Amino acid sequence: MIHFERFKLANGLTVIFHKEPSTPMAVVNLLYDVGARDENEEKTGFAHLFEHLMFGGSINIPDFDGPLQAAGGESNAFTSNDITNYYDVLPAHNIDTALWLESDRMLSLAFTEKSLEVQRNVVIEEFKQRYLNQPYGDVWLELRPLAYTKHPYKWATIGKEIKHIEDANMSDVKAFFKKHYHPSNCILCIIGNFELETIKEKVNHFFGSIPKGKKSARILPLEPAQSRFKSKTISRNVPADAFYYAFKMPERKHPGYYFADLLSDIMGREKVSKLYVDLIKKQKLVSEINAYITGSMDDGLFIITGKLNEGKTFDALDKAIWKIIAHYQTNLITKKELEQIKIKLRTARAFQDQGLLNRAMNLSFFELLGDANGINEEQEIYQSIHAEELRKFAKQLFAKKNAVLLKVKKKKNA
Amino acid sequence: MLNRQVAPPITPIDSIDFIVPQIEEIKKDIPLYWKKDIANETSKIELHFNAGTTVKNPVLASLTAGLLISGTKNKTAVQIQHALDAVGAYYDVSVSQEQAVVSIYALNRYLAQAFDIFQDALKNAIFPENEVAEICNERQEKLKVQLQKVNVLAQRKIQQLLFESTPYAQVIDQSDYSSIRQSDLISFHKENYLNGLAKVFLVGDLSTEDKNAIKDACIQFATEQRKPKESKFLLNSHIFHEEKKDALQAAIRIGKILFNKTHPDFISFSVLNTILGDYFGSRLMSNIREDKGYTYGIGSYLMENTHFGYFMIATEVAKEVREATIQEIKNEIERLQNELVSMEELALVKSYLLGQLLKAADGPYAMLDLFSGVELHGLTISFYNDYIKKVQEISPEEIREMARKHLEWKSLSIISVG
Repeated sequence: MIHFERFKLANGLTVIFHKEPSTPMAVVNLLYDVGARDENEEKTGFAHLFEHLMFGGSINIPDFDGPLQAAGGESNAFTSNDITNYYDVLPAHNIDTALWLESDRMLSLAFTEKSLEVQRNVVIEEFKQRYLNQPYGDVWLELRPLAYTKHPYKWATIGKEIKHIEDANMSDVKAFFKKHYHPSNCILCIIGNFELETIKEKVNHFFGSIPKGKKSARILPLEPAQSRFKSKTISRNVPADAFYYAFKMPERKHPGYYFADLLSDIMGREKVSKLYVDLIKKQKLVSEINAYITGSMDDGLFIITGKLNEGKTFDALDKAIWKIIAHYQTNLITKKELEQIKIKLRTARAFQDQGLLNRAMNLSFFELLGDANGINEEQEIYQSIHAEELRKFAKQLFAKKNAVLLKVKKKKNA
Repeated sequence: MLNRQVAPPITPIDSIDFIVPQIEEIKKDIPLYWKKDIANETSKIELHFNAGTTVKNPVLASLTAGLLISGTKNKTAVQIQHALDAVGAYYDVSVSQEQAVVSIYALNRYLAQAFDIFQDALKNAIFPENEVAEICNERQEKLKVQLQKVNVLAQRKIQQLLFESTPYAQVIDQSDYSSIRQSDLISFHKENYLNGLAKVFLVGDLSTEDKNAIKDACIQFATEQRKPKESKFLLNSHIFHEEKKDALQAAIRIGKILFNKTHPDFISFSVLNTILGDYFGSRLMSNIREDKGYTYGIGSYLMENTHFGYFMIATEVAKEVREATIQEIKNEIERLQNELVSMEELALVKSYLLGQLLKAADGPYAMLDLFSGVELHGLTISFYNDYIKKVQEISPEEIREMARKHLEWKSLSIISVG
């Protein structure tokens, strides 16, 4: 059980405080309710580029990292299609430094041309390093627009193309800040050995005077229900043919999310899952196989992916995959297997909760979902799932017309 | 009224409580370290075997490690995995140059059971032909992917050049997999696992009974303590570039053989290394990422082995600025050799390093890792108290001295691929 307190400032900032007496460190986590799904289709990659700019100095403080490092701390951030999350970890007695820095960049950035120019280049190099200069690196750039036709999940966090990042200008940056970076669009979570009153006082001191912004309604294009199976083949300089089956799955708050998550754990289990045993051990069709979910806020994707062995065909694989899928649609997962997965989830959860930063991120994320206490309720949801529910769910999820398939074909001369 | 331009006061860290785990002897010189004070139900056992890539060759070390729970006379790999799953345990094995480390994670009430499943699988492993064939196929496919990445190619090349003519230079090639025989694995397993346990780390609020059961079962794998043999390095510096058509970025590795914690310059050099490239505000990051925008990231590291260490700068940059980047790295090193670091920058780095040490000592798992970091070199936990003192005292002159003494440009090997 993770105990926490919640309070709200007059300007709309939500604060979650979790007291942890055993640590000399403090975590300050800020989740901004903005991600790549909030971007303009002609200006993608912006939420992530913006995350970089948040380290380029704020209105009253020219350098973000320096003062934090001088306080013995460090900081980083990540952007997803749904959120942008910033965190600072530092010795607890210096927590004021983190609050000072975070509140100033929530108030306003410095908006220097130099910072924009440099971070555009840095992000372009990140684009190349992670998405273009790696075998299979561009798979998600291809798979997203295949799976989504309307919803902004059709582009990746890094952006659709490098050009969008090259074109980002200062007026875009300022408008983005004004719209998304203000107290009522943020959840601040603090962990450390403090008293609640102290935290209230400190947060009020640093954040209380930031003007209230307007939380804009999020109206995103709905993804129409898919009506038929779609597939696409791309040819790349890769060592082996690879396949990505993607099935539309329910949004984060839907009970079906938990079914999908558990099902992906069962199907993706290394060494013992039916996918592994049938495709790797028995039929020797693939050299690796995996199943996982994207875990997004809006309707997500359930992915089955792997690489073909030399000389094996996509057709042979396709038959084998659908046969395994049919197995989960008709047969119940054994009681034994379900128990194993549930106890593994308990172990994984206990280890996750160990880390302060993990706790802070999870508390913030559940608060965004509606209630930070979700962190304490989630295990029970998983533990109460029945085999019959999973079978029924598999029947809907794995309908062929609900699927897309991306095939990455090895170029002949590769 | 809040004046946002004034930074809040900062209190420096002057001491940290380092806690030594409970030490028991499995056999002479083969210790079990137990950190038992932990306020939650997580637990972990870490078994260190003298079974790294330099013991014989990397392919044998890596395949044997991958097949430790691949089947016994009585149980298949799938059955063993199911048994571990039934107690909710996670199993992981990693192989470094000198050691193979098996980790088992579980809730504390299941750890002894999970360990019992593992020890039976390890003791009776038969390395079934089909499992060997499967893992060879999987690893070969993975290696093909790896060998397309410029960072992997550059890393392999610098390893081959720096450690030339020693076991540390060995890397795995595709052809290595075709020459592997089951009998090689069986003898490697016998020599380096069944008789190769070096030490055990245990974290968790376990009963003494469970702890003893684990300890007693460990005895069967403990024969004698074997330290890795000392290698004689050639200490030549190399310059090498490989053109890779179609690459969008070039990977750069710059490095040399250096020392580990046992060397008197270690702590001072660590401070220099941090200033140069080991934190977000480092000279290399500030110049090459935050000023020039040549890269997504650049860093420098000091890696340690039993008898030596090595220094490395690593980055991937836009292909067209490869040479400009190497020149900037050279400039930054020379600046540290010619100019004194300002008191302000040095104070920041000192404070940062001590804050990071406080974090590295936070919690039972972290504390045991810190302990492991000195235990490997035969040092005691008081090393960290010396570290705090040395970091607090170090002067700009000493930093400059370290840069002159250990980072002479001509002594560094420069490798790039892309």
